[in-house]
Amino acid sequence: MAFNPLTERGIPIDKQLRNWSQLNVNPYDSQTVDPYTRCRIITMNGIEVEAIMNAHQFARHTDNPEVKAKLAYLRRIEQQQQKAVNWLLPGKESTLEVTIGYEQVAIDLTAFLARNEPDPYVKQTLDFGLLEDFDHLYRYANLMDLIEGKKADRITRNYTEVMPGRPTILEHRHPYDDIRCHYDAHTAAPLTKLHALTITAAEQQTMNFYMNVGPQYQEAIARALYQEIAMIEEQHVTQYESLLDPLETWFQREVMHHYNECYLYYSFMQTEVDRRIKDLWELHLNQEIEHLRIAGEMLKKFEGMDPAEMLPKSLPEPTKFEQNKDYVRDILATQVDLRTLGPTFVPLDQLPEDSLYREYQETVNAGGFVPSEQVIKDVQEKSGYRIAFMTEGPHPVESLREK
Amino acid sequence: MLTLFPTKDTGAKTLPTLMTITAPEQQMALDALQQLGASAGLNGLLLANLLSCFTQLERDAVHLYRVLAERTHNDDWRERYEAFGKESEDHVRIYEELITKLGGDPQYVSPNARMSEYKDSKLLEALLLSGSVDEFTLELTGLEAVITAEQQCHSNWELLAALADQVDDKAVKGAIQGAVKQVMPQEDEHLTWAKSTWQKTLLGTLNQR
Repeated sequence: MAFNPLTERGIPIDKQLRNWSQLNVNPYDSQTVDPYTRCRIITMNGIEVEAIMNAHQFARHTDNPEVKAKLAYLRRIEQQQQKAVNWLLPGKESTLEVTIGYEQVAIDLTAFLARNEPDPYVKQTLDFGLLEDFDHLYRYANLMDLIEGKKADRITRNYTEVMPGRPTILEHRHPYDDIRCHYDAHTAAPLTKLHALTITAAEQQTMNFYMNVGPQYQEAIARALYQEIAMIEEQHVTQYESLLDPLETWFQREVMHHYNECYLYYSFMQTEVDRRIKDLWELHLNQEIEHLRIAGEMLKKFEGMDPAEMLPKSLPEPTKFEQNKDYVRDILATQVDLRTLGPTFVPLDQLPEDSLYREYQETVNAGGFVPSEQVIKDVQEKSGYRIAFMTEGPHPVESLREK
Repeated sequence: MLTLFPTKDTGAKTLPTLMTITAPEQQMALDALQQLGASAGLNGLLLANLLSCFTQLERDAVHLYRVLAERTHNDDWRERYEAFGKESEDHVRIYEELITKLGGDPQYVSPNARMSEYKDSKLLEALLLSGSVDEFTLELTGLEAVITAEQQCHSNWELLAALADQVDDKAVKGAIQGAVKQVMPQEDEHLTWAKSTWQKTLLGTLNQR
């Protein structure tokens, strides 16, 4: 049934504040949790963090007391939502186990968005990033085996295969090559706008996470691998934020953030298997409907625009976490050798010899030590194997099969 | 039908540019744009881009007047803002009809229109600094936004009037002149009122010790 958050009634804003007991939620049981429940939690944490940071940036561009106050109030509730969501992660899970969860999000979220993305260029951008995050899962899975002796498929439960993607060593690009074209706010499908906001938030949270937890390791290889992959996440944030149309104003963006939160909480409510967590998604949806109303009122008052002018009559089809093994294999088989030349995607053999890509590669990969390669060598040396979990046959790219 | 914010749902189309992408079904065909006013031997692409841009300014004027009518403390000004906003809605409709008569698509959002929308949004963005000024300055800032927007609106219609004078093709000439005739007196009034009110208000205040 069509759902339009603009016409629904949410929880009044002055009834949304929770006390410490309500906020300090019990974590999920890491032995029994469905991997995609973990993925939904990690995703919504990133979405909340982005909503908070966007509202902070907005607040730094105005001294209108009414706007500042409303943003502060909304942000306070968003912060509570972020706490309630992120505190579902159990302390029992190591940082690396959570990292495996982050990469599972990066793969199965990106693949789902790409499969459902109506704009061919945005789809191509998602496919391009997908193969890189797919490789990160493989590198971290090997790191986890090496330093914790744990297997990544305990986390991913084989919903997602673990094998090389576009090798991380080849992902390092000149900053100019991470810029992308953007959708047009007037002609883009609502789903394209939501996809761009969602993937930007998810990758930004991943970037923030790695850039902060990386140095907490004592093992040199772990510190180095987090550092290298954190730099790729910076590239991914650059790539995905480029998709957003700069024509959108502060007020329009604020509305879009809350609309996207409504969309994702509504989406995840449909597929959540954990009753307690499903209730949380529902609670947050009802809070977000009110946030959308308030952001919409600000849009009306300060830009003269009714949010219904820019939003569709109902939410698009829900975003789901589901298996994407065949899709990922297909993209691997056909796009692993893709590179970028500015905002354009080009096959490796069409990249000029004097490209910025090659120059950047030579600089950052100089010296012989590349953490993402070293971690595989270390596992091989220590255990005589390397970690991969393939359920659908041999690697689709022959050159990436284990020799 | 009047559109104040073209979207995919309203049938918006555009031309991809250096950094803008759009799905194939939302792309405007270049040859269709070049056909605009072709019977009059005009540069169809430029004409299409300009008419989209001019329409956008009227759409933005509707939004601007809504904001000012909501926030002004002066009842006379509010009355004006409300009236001008309604007339600006008519101007959007008149532009949409003119574009259709000339063989164009009023849902086309040209690159020029994007640039106009961006500039126009900055007029309203000035209100984000309202905590830095007193109410009098804020009222004047709103009025100055009207002067800027209406000055450009007026220039747009003047350009079309001059173009109609140069065109021989009867259908094109008639369509443009018909639109200009409907709108120009109102545009004159909007600009004249805004400029004179601004001047009168400031002079009146400057003469008070």
